[in-house]
Amino acid sequence: MQLFQPQEVIVERGSEASPMYRNLRNALPLIPFRLVDAVSTENGRTDSSAFTFGAAKKRLCLTRYKGEFLKKCPGSDGQVCCNYFVINFASNCPMDCSYCYLQEYLADNPELKVFSNVEDLLTEADELLSKHRRFFFRIGTGEITDSLALDPYIGFAREVVPFFAEQPNALLELKTKSDCVEGLLALDPKERVVVSWSMNPQRVIDLDEHGTASLSERLLAARRCQNAGYRLGFHFDPIVEYLNWESDYEEMLDQTFSTVDWRRIAWLSMGVLRDTLSLKRIIRQRFPQTRLLTGEQVLCPDGKLRYFQPMRIDIYRKMLRWIRRAAPTVKVYLCMESKEVWEQVFGFAPSCEKELGNQMAPSP
Amino acid sequence: MGLKLGENHLRDLMDWLEEIALRDRSTIGEILASKPITDIESDPRLGRADRLKRVKEELRRLRFPRLAQLEGSIRARIQELKLHPEIRLTVPLGLEGGRLRVELSASTLEDLKRQTGKLAEAADTNTVREIFALLAGEAVESRPKSDYFFPG
Repeated sequence: MQLFQPQEVIVERGSEASPMYRNLRNALPLIPFRLVDAVSTENGRTDSSAFTFGAAKKRLCLTRYKGEFLKKCPGSDGQVCCNYFVINFASNCPMDCSYCYLQEYLADNPELKVFSNVEDLLTEADELLSKHRRFFFRIGTGEITDSLALDPYIGFAREVVPFFAEQPNALLELKTKSDCVEGLLALDPKERVVVSWSMNPQRVIDLDEHGTASLSERLLAARRCQNAGYRLGFHFDPIVEYLNWESDYEEMLDQTFSTVDWRRIAWLSMGVLRDTLSLKRIIRQRFPQTRLLTGEQVLCPDGKLRYFQPMRIDIYRKMLRWIRRAAPTVKVYLCMESKEVWEQVFGFAPSCEKELGNQMAPSP
Repeated sequence: MGLKLGENHLRDLMDWLEEIALRDRSTIGEILASKPITDIESDPRLGRADRLKRVKEELRRLRFPRLAQLEGSIRARIQELKLHPEIRLTVPLGLEGGRLRVELSASTLEDLKRQTGKLAEAADTNTVREIFALLAGEAVESRPKSDYFFPG
């Protein structure tokens, strides 16, 4: 994987004393740093037409986050929810997948930002977790950024893993398409941290997951994490349907289960390619040659386009069969799917979101 | 094409045309010059609205071939049941939700009992079983060989 190199680092005044700043300085000695009063007014968007989503990824802003770090994952209207919480320690992602929903979600705020006040994040998490010890929390950091792609520069993992390793009622999930796991290997996760990968066959990675690690690199990184004591997660999402997709996905699953020990896998998820009408327009503009959008997607009641339902069920059933062949009892769930689809694939649908969330809790 | 399209129709059709062209490595011109489309355009029996409707249906069929085929298979099975017009079976456009919708209308209690009896008989047939199997993804075909996703 080619490591991301920002062209410039913009530092908001007040962030210079943070560990993130020190880490960035040490990791990027040749990159110019610029101190500004406020990132929001210094983002160069006076000419918004020229400041495209892609260009925003080329410079890194270090700023304080003023809102709440911990939020409930919004899920999707009417779909079975997995009761997930998200921590946004950064915004936007140095990678550039053709299908990425951030292209729409962050269209008006595309700066690649890292938030320097990690101490506030940990205080907030501590308050929530200690106040609700009876409840189990599954918390992820990869909703609006990649959890690990920036880790070689910012060292976020070593700030948060020791904290979550001590929490009896939470699992932290670090979700990535990178192989940047070096910073994790010397830490002791104490079964409380899951490192997970978004997975696709190399063919999809080559064409639509720009700037990400190859399939083999992801799997090698997963094995290193497993050997260092981490539990693993794999998200087969987005599954892309194309001619002979079956052989590519089956091979990818075989490769996965022959590289890692499935008994160390905390969970697997599956989800098909989804977009919206407006994201589709952005994708066509930014990636005119991608064939992702030529699949037979229909508009679903939650406003998202997905492959038509019988096709999705067929895809999930096949994937589940290949997964079960190698990992008979591993936990598998569907991401952003309806109860009807759950029932057709698994023979049941969770009765409520807490049921699904609790199923993901580690065994006592 | 001489169809005088409104903005929404035009946007849908252009998206479909572009996506078919990208998928099949053809051009929009070639798609519009294909026989099914030109046949509709030159059919003197069709008015402008019908022509537009038929062109749109044809382009939808080209854009979503397996979905259209599945919808057609379900429709054919519903017709096979030869139900009375008072019993209406439908599936949602796009098949989302995976449900068979049943509508009954009756003018008397006896009529209602007769309709529900007919419906119960129909529900026991293989045809209805097949409809549910189709909705449950048990007959989705692979992409046709002529349709390739990736270059090279």
